[in-house]
Amino acid sequence: MEPIVYVALGMALGAGIAGAASSFGVGIAGAAAAGAVAEDEKNFRNALILEGLPMTQSIYGLITLFLIGMAAGIIGGGGFKFAEPTTQNIIKSAILFGAGLLVGLTGLSAIPQGIIASAGVGAVSKNPKTFTQNLIFAAMAETMAIFGLVGAIILIMSL
Amino acid sequence: MEVSTITAILDTTLGVVLTFVAYKTGQIIWKYTPYSYPNARIRAMEARLLSDQRIEELAESKNLQNFVVNLEDSDYGERLTSIEKVNLKNIELALELSLVDLLELMVKIMPKRVKGFFELLLEEWDVRNISNIVKAKLSNLPAQDYIIPAGRMYQKVKAMIEAKTMEELLVILEGTEYEEPLRKLLLKEISLEEFELELYRLHYQKLLNYATSRRGEEKTILLEFVRLLIDQKNISSVLRAKSASMPSEEIKKLIIEGGSLSKVTLDAMINAEDPIMAIGELEGTKYGEIIREVREDIEQGRLDTVEIALRKFMIARMKELAQFYPLSVAVALAYILEREREIRKLKAVAKLLSDGIRAEKIKQIVGEVA
Repeated sequence: MEPIVYVALGMALGAGIAGAASSFGVGIAGAAAAGAVAEDEKNFRNALILEGLPMTQSIYGLITLFLIGMAAGIIGGGGFKFAEPTTQNIIKSAILFGAGLLVGLTGLSAIPQGIIASAGVGAVSKNPKTFTQNLIFAAMAETMAIFGLVGAIILIMSL
Repeated sequence: MEVSTITAILDTTLGVVLTFVAYKTGQIIWKYTPYSYPNARIRAMEARLLSDQRIEELAESKNLQNFVVNLEDSDYGERLTSIEKVNLKNIELALELSLVDLLELMVKIMPKRVKGFFELLLEEWDVRNISNIVKAKLSNLPAQDYIIPAGRMYQKVKAMIEAKTMEELLVILEGTEYEEPLRKLLLKEISLEEFELELYRLHYQKLLNYATSRRGEEKTILLEFVRLLIDQKNISSVLRAKSASMPSEEIKKLIIEGGSLSKVTLDAMINAEDPIMAIGELEGTKYGEIIREVREDIEQGRLDTVEIALRKFMIARMKELAQFYPLSVAVALAYILEREREIRKLKAVAKLLSDGIRAEKIKQIVGEVA
């Protein structure tokens, strides 16, 4: 593949996989939120907060997309820096591809986060006092996405 | 390394990683997503289960009218407020129908792959109605008074009430699985008790078949649920038969296959000298601990405490499974069992109120029946 394909794939997979995972995560937690609110509308506030947690992975994906674009010269002017299909350019564009894939794959943590948030919505509906604890449980899944973003930034900065 | 080699390695890795991730992600989504909505809804319903304090307040209702008014804001409100004439029979019926409503709600909201189980649970009202109609007809009593307007074949049940002869009942049940037991009863091949047991046997067998046909944790949970139900029924039947000094051969006919108790344990219980010895055979099984707790009551001849202890054990086990699998069918099953227990308590309160029992005594008795 040409270097441009790797870079473009890195940008697309980073934002795409993380975004898709976020939508699944929000979907799972959102279904639970709908169930909780159907029984008692007082559950709305707590359910909404828990439902929104898996959205952050898509933001990390978007940040990565911009960072890769800027590192490769696609965003910010100057043109694509690795257009020549030399070994060095292939490696550099592969590194950018890896950074995107890293954020995309760690962004999949949005799905289990949605599952945890979904169980959390149920638990909070039963006992609202457990809201903070359930928020923490769901937020734990975020750690992997943050590690992924940090790793991607390190990779991009290594160029 | 050649450029083509690098790109080949990268492309292959990408293909493998993405395929694996897509497969695993799909599996997780398929497994948990369908339970997201129903389980959150059930958890919210759990928050409305009546507390002990609320039950005690109900015990102070003084009469059935107040009892109904006090429950207006609960999950029973809709059914209770639609009662035309407030009396014990109508209140019991309304409470029973609220459980039917709950199962019908489960059929609507549970994932397709398990909703059939809740449809089968609704068939228990068919079994009860058919059994009660046959018993009423054989005793020349008005069958209408003994049925609950619920179940999957309520239309047939209504037709059965109108039937003039037992043969007509057979014609109405033609083509259903209940036809054969009724035919045997009419030919006097089996007794009325055996007929009733045969209906329950068919019902449990259907539940068992459904549970066995599921996969993964759904199979585990549903099988455990049905096995606990069968065990409960078998232990209760054996103890009651023993206390009535029924011969072992007769007791054997009462056993429903498919429970978790081994044949050896059940045979030992059946051949035991008395209920206390029979219950002793449960030592070493999962029921050992709960049976020890009610041993004194059994020695005093109170077999109902064993049934209460078994029901409590079943609820505890389902709640345990619901904690272990928070997005599974266990949550719904545990909630249904809890609502059943709550309804039992409410029926007891209503009965005691209608008998004019003092509030303090009601609180004490209701605590025991739970």
